[in-house]
Amino acid sequence: MAESTFVYVTYIRTTPEKLWQALTDPAFIRKYWCGIQAESDWTPGSPWQLVIPDGRVADSGKVLEAEPGRRLVIRWRNEFRPELREEGFSRCTFVLEPVGTSVKLTVTHEMERPESKFVQAVSNGWPHILSSLKSLLETGESLEETRHWPKGK
Amino acid sequence: MAEGDLTTESTVYVTYIAAPAEKVWAALTSAEFTRRYFFGRDVESDWSVGSPWLLRKPDGTLDVRGVVLESVPPRKLVVTWNVVQEQFKDLPECVVTYDIEPAGDGVVRVTMTESHPTPIPAYLLEGGRRGWPMILSGLKSLLETGRPLPLAVPQPPSKE
Repeated sequence: MAESTFVYVTYIRTTPEKLWQALTDPAFIRKYWCGIQAESDWTPGSPWQLVIPDGRVADSGKVLEAEPGRRLVIRWRNEFRPELREEGFSRCTFVLEPVGTSVKLTVTHEMERPESKFVQAVSNGWPHILSSLKSLLETGESLEETRHWPKGK
Repeated sequence: MAEGDLTTESTVYVTYIAAPAEKVWAALTSAEFTRRYFFGRDVESDWSVGSPWLLRKPDGTLDVRGVVLESVPPRKLVVTWNVVQEQFKDLPECVVTYDIEPAGDGVVRVTMTESHPTPIPAYLLEGGRRGWPMILSGLKSLLETGRPLPLAVPQPPSKE
C-alpha cells in the first residue's frame, strides 16, 4: 500500500466489455467526466492525457497496463494545479470483475508520499465521476453537474 | 497491520444519486425499500431521537440493533450500530451517519460514515468496506432505475 491511497468500489449493472468501453472511449468519457477529452491508444507504454474543454491539459502520464475488460493502470500526474503537479506521478488502477449481472469496479489511486494533496483532491472527485458513470451505464443519463466542466475552474 | 491491532479509523463512502433527498431518506428508513437493496433486510424504527432501531434478516432474526442519535429528515440520520451476529462478537458499538446534501439539479450526495468511538480490531474494518459499496450501489440503482442489484452478502472478515 502506498503512503497515500484512495480506494473506491462501485457495482454497476453492465458487462466488463461495456464498462471497459466507458473507461476508454473519449466520446463516452466526455459525457460523465465534465466534458473532458481523454487521449490515448490504451496500450501499455503509450502516452495518456486528459484535456479540459478550454484546451488546458488537466493530467498526463502513460498507460502502464491494459487488459481490456479486466485491468487498466495509468501513471498519472496533475498538470494544471501547481501544488498538485509538484507532487509528481501517482498510479491509478482500475480493476473490473464480473459479479452476477453486475461488474465490480475498483479504482485505487496511490501516491508515494504521506498526506498527498493530489490524493485528497481525487478522493473528492472520484465518487462524483464514478457515480455519474454508473448512472450513464444504467439509465442512459449522466449526473447533471458532471456533464460540463465547472465554470471558473 | 497485525491482527491484534486496534483502530478508531472511520470508513467513508460517498455516492451521488439522481433522486430527491426525501426519496433517499425514505429508502434509508423504510423496510419496503431496505429489503430490496440491503441484503434483503428490513429496518424498523420510528426514527425519533432516542428510539431504538433494528435491522432484521429475511428470516426475521435480528442482525443489527441500535439507538437513533440524530434524525433530521431528509438531511441527516445518525444511529448507533451493534451487530448481533456471532462473527462480529468482537466488534464494539459503532456509529453510522448518513448525510444527504443537494449536489446539482435533481442530484444528492449521500455520505455514509461508519465511525468507531471505541477502538476495534483492525481486520473488522473490512466488513464495512466490503458491504457498504454493495449496499449503496444497490440503493443508487434502485432509486435511479427501479431495479436493485442482485448482490450476495459478502463473506465476513477473517483474522487470517
